[in-house]
This record gives sequence, structure tokens and C-alpha cells, in this order.
Amino acid sequence: MSLKQLNAAGFEEAVYNNGEACLVIFSRKECHVCKEVVPVLEQLQPNYEKKFGFYYVDVEKDKSLFQRFSLKGVPQILYFNGGQYQGKQAGKVEEEQIEDKISDTLK
Amino acid sequence: MANSYDLIIIGGGPAGLSAAIYGGRAKLKTLVIDKGGIGGLVNTTREIVNYPGYAQISGPDLMNEFKKHADTFGVEFLKGEVVRADFSQAEKKIVLKKGQEFFGKAVILACGSEPRLLNIPGEKRLRGMGVAYCATCDAEFFEGDEVVVVGSGDQAIEEGMFIAKFARKVTVIVLHEEGILDCNKVSGERALNHEKMAFIWNSTIEEVLGEENVEAVKIKNLKTGLTSELSCQGVFFFVGMVPSTGYLKDSGLEMDKRGYIPANDLMKSNLEGVYAVGDNRVKYLRQVVSAAGDGATAAVAAERYIEELNDFNRNVMQSEKRVLLLFFNAQDNESLNYCSALEKSTKEDGLDCKIVSVDMATKKNLAEKYAVKSIPSVLVLDKGMESHRFEGLEVLTCTQWKSILTN
Repeated sequence: MSLKQLNAAGFEEAVYNNGEACLVIFSRKECHVCKEVVPVLEQLQPNYEKKFGFYYVDVEKDKSLFQRFSLKGVPQILYFNGGQYQGKQAGKVEEEQIEDKISDTLK
Repeated sequence: MANSYDLIIIGGGPAGLSAAIYGGRAKLKTLVIDKGGIGGLVNTTREIVNYPGYAQISGPDLMNEFKKHADTFGVEFLKGEVVRADFSQAEKKIVLKKGQEFFGKAVILACGSEPRLLNIPGEKRLRGMGVAYCATCDAEFFEGDEVVVVGSGDQAIEEGMFIAKFARKVTVIVLHEEGILDCNKVSGERALNHEKMAFIWNSTIEEVLGEENVEAVKIKNLKTGLTSELSCQGVFFFVGMVPSTGYLKDSGLEMDKRGYIPANDLMKSNLEGVYAVGDNRVKYLRQVVSAAGDGATAAVAAERYIEELNDFNRNVMQSEKRVLLLFFNAQDNESLNYCSALEKSTKEDGLDCKIVSVDMATKKNLAEKYAVKSIPSVLVLDKGMESHRFEGLEVLTCTQWKSILTN
């Protein structure tokens, strides 16, 4: 299943207002590494239903978001819990690394 | 079997997609496996101006056209990463990361290449935090920043100028003497006169520095041996490519020491039914147009190979009668005479067998498979199993054949 896309307002809502435990991938359409990482998230998503949110931000559409986190590249996965930033993973990351980071975030 | 194909193509760049178009059109059951998005590295090219028929088109747009074209011929596509290949059997096995297995009569390797890493301290740790390899993907993140570009090939210089659209200043680190760039002349001149571009000659990078994000690079002058630090917020590495063939290292496939696959003019590798096309093979020019040509060649070669294989299975391996497999050379009169003599001697008395003749000049595969060195040679096969072998011009009499075949 494809990831839910967030704009700036949706991001605010999910990450801060609801304080959801979640990850947000910052990606763009034409980035080849993103195209490898996004499907990994799509496959992981069903395993974490109702426990952990999976979101997608298109950096071309929502510039303010990547500027706010002073990101220097895509893809970049940011982790949040209770409205707190829990760290990020950049570039080509493997499924196991993502699973590890999710369980860290949920601790 | 659902996971069994005529042709499996690994990689969905221009070489793989062209092979898919030819394979699909030849009515081969064709599967393309790609780990990322279809299009491969071409997707990172903003502008292509030398693909015939398209005066100017973006990489992703051109690859979409290729993909759509392959779709019209019924090619199947699968997203997945191949981690292992077993080419030792007639049905070649491809294993994906998730454990799924696929079987193909022929396999075309079109895995392309990926950016080479310098493997210097800080490069890996700060990837995505200022260390980058793709300007299309990441240049925009360096708006108003100072950026270092490593390398002086076409990609380094052209991408450097693209980065300069966003960055305040782009400093290019070049290995060579002042004024010497590896890129094409047009781009080189434009870059040397570019107001935002600066060059540091005779130098290389030793380390990327920074805590959370890139803060500086350590530059070593190769002439003087002196090192210096240059403050910057980003480093783009364009120091060449390496073939993405690591997963093939235990497959028996021949590769050069850098991992490129040598292929002949049919794109055939050292293994039967395995072909290599595009950037991952040893070749002179790595462009979309040459990748497409490779793909077409390999698909046609694979089609003929598969046809030969099917033919042979039908006529020899599954034959009810015993088969006399005759290796000859159509250009050699003596062996042609031998052919007719053999046919005559077996026909006269209605021997219960079938003669299948193989021209060595065109079917080298079979000769290799049965280790046939000389012509003419006759192999007696029962359901594909060799029971006797005769080499040389002596024609056996019908009685002799009879005693062999009734054994």
C-alpha cells in the first residue's frame, strides 16, 4: 500500500498535535535512491498497523518542511514520538535498519 | 510454472527495457526485475540531447516511453532486489532478497552501475547530511551554500554547473594540472568561465569533516603534499562509477577485476544463455543509445538460443526413438558426404533411430555441451543420455549400427 502523503498542515497534525509515533520519509519523484527506499517502507507498513505511522513528504511540493529540518538530501527518514524528534536515517537504508530504528523509537 | 520464464532481464534501465521490447515482440515470456524505479540511472539525467529522434527530452520522460513500449508487448515487471543467481542448470535460477525464486531459460544482465565511493573518513557517516552523489536529487538543498565537487569528468562538471544554480559557490577539486579537465570541451569552457565556479588543481579530498552535518573538507595537494581545510556545507562526489554486479560474484560468471562483465558481439557472457548489456559490461561507450543497441542484440541472441534449446528438447531429449546426433560442418565437403552416407546406411535397413544433424559452425553451444572436438562425430543418445560416440570419417555399416542400437 502506498504511503500517506503529508503537506505542511498534515505534518503538524500527525507529528505534533496527535504526537503519533511515526516515521516520515522526505523524498522526491526523480531520485533513484528514493525509489528503492520507498517500496521498503510500503512493505513494512502493514506490519505496524495502528502501532506506528508511515508518512511521505514530497520535498518539491513542501519546501518549508525540509528547510525546517535543515535536510541536506533525499531520501531521508525522520522518526518522531510524542511530538519529539527521535533521529533520522539518510540515503539507502536496509529494511533491518528501519525496523531497528522503529523499535528504538517505540521504546 | 508461474515463476518460470523464457527470458529474465535483471535491470530496468535503457538496456534492460530495450531487451524487454525485443523479447516481448518475439513472444518470449519475459520478466524484468528492477530494484528501484524503471529507468535506472537515466532517471537522474535532466536533459538528454543525443538520443536519436528526440532533440531534447528528460531522462525520466524518455524512460517512460521505453517502459510504455515494453508494456505493449506484454512484458511483465517486478520490483525486487536480486541477491543471488545460479546459472549452472539449464533453467537459470534468480533469487530475490525476500527469498522468491524465478527461473529463466535465458538471462540478460542489465544491472547498470552505481557511483564509486572514495571510502575516505566522513564520506559514509555524513551521507545525506551534506555528502551527496546525485545533483538532480539533492542540489536544491544547498541553496545559498558553499559546495565542493570532487571530479572533473562530464558528470562532475555538468552537475557542478547545475548545483551552481542553487549554491553560492561551487569549488571543483581536480586531480590534474591547472586547466585540464576530463570532461567534454564545451562544458569545460563554460565551467572555467562560470562566475560561481572555482577550481583547486592537483588535489584530492582526504576527509569530510563535520559533526551532524558537513562543515568542511580536508584537501590534499598531490604536488606539494600539503593539506588544507576548506569550509563548505556540501560535497558532491563524481569520481566515476562501479558496475552493480556484486551479487554475481559466486555465479561462475566471468568478470574483470572491477566487476564489469566481458561479452562478445552477441552480448553473450562466458556462460550459456547468459548475456550482459549496457553499463555493466566491458564496453567503449556508455550512453542510452548504445545501451538500447546492446539490449536489442542480446534479446535476439537469447531468442535464438531459446529456440535452439526448445528444438533440441523436443527432437532429442524427449525423442521416443534413439537419436544419432551428428556433428558436421556445412562448409566442409567431407563431412557433408559423411552426412549422406550415414543417412543412407541407416535408412536402407529401416533402423529404429532418428538422425539429428548439428552444424558446428552455427551451433557451438551444443558442441560445447557434448565436448565435441572434431567433425564428423556421431553420438548415440537415448533420452538424451550418451551411450556411444564415433569420431572420424569411417561410416559404419547397417549391420554394425544394428548391433549398437539393439544393445
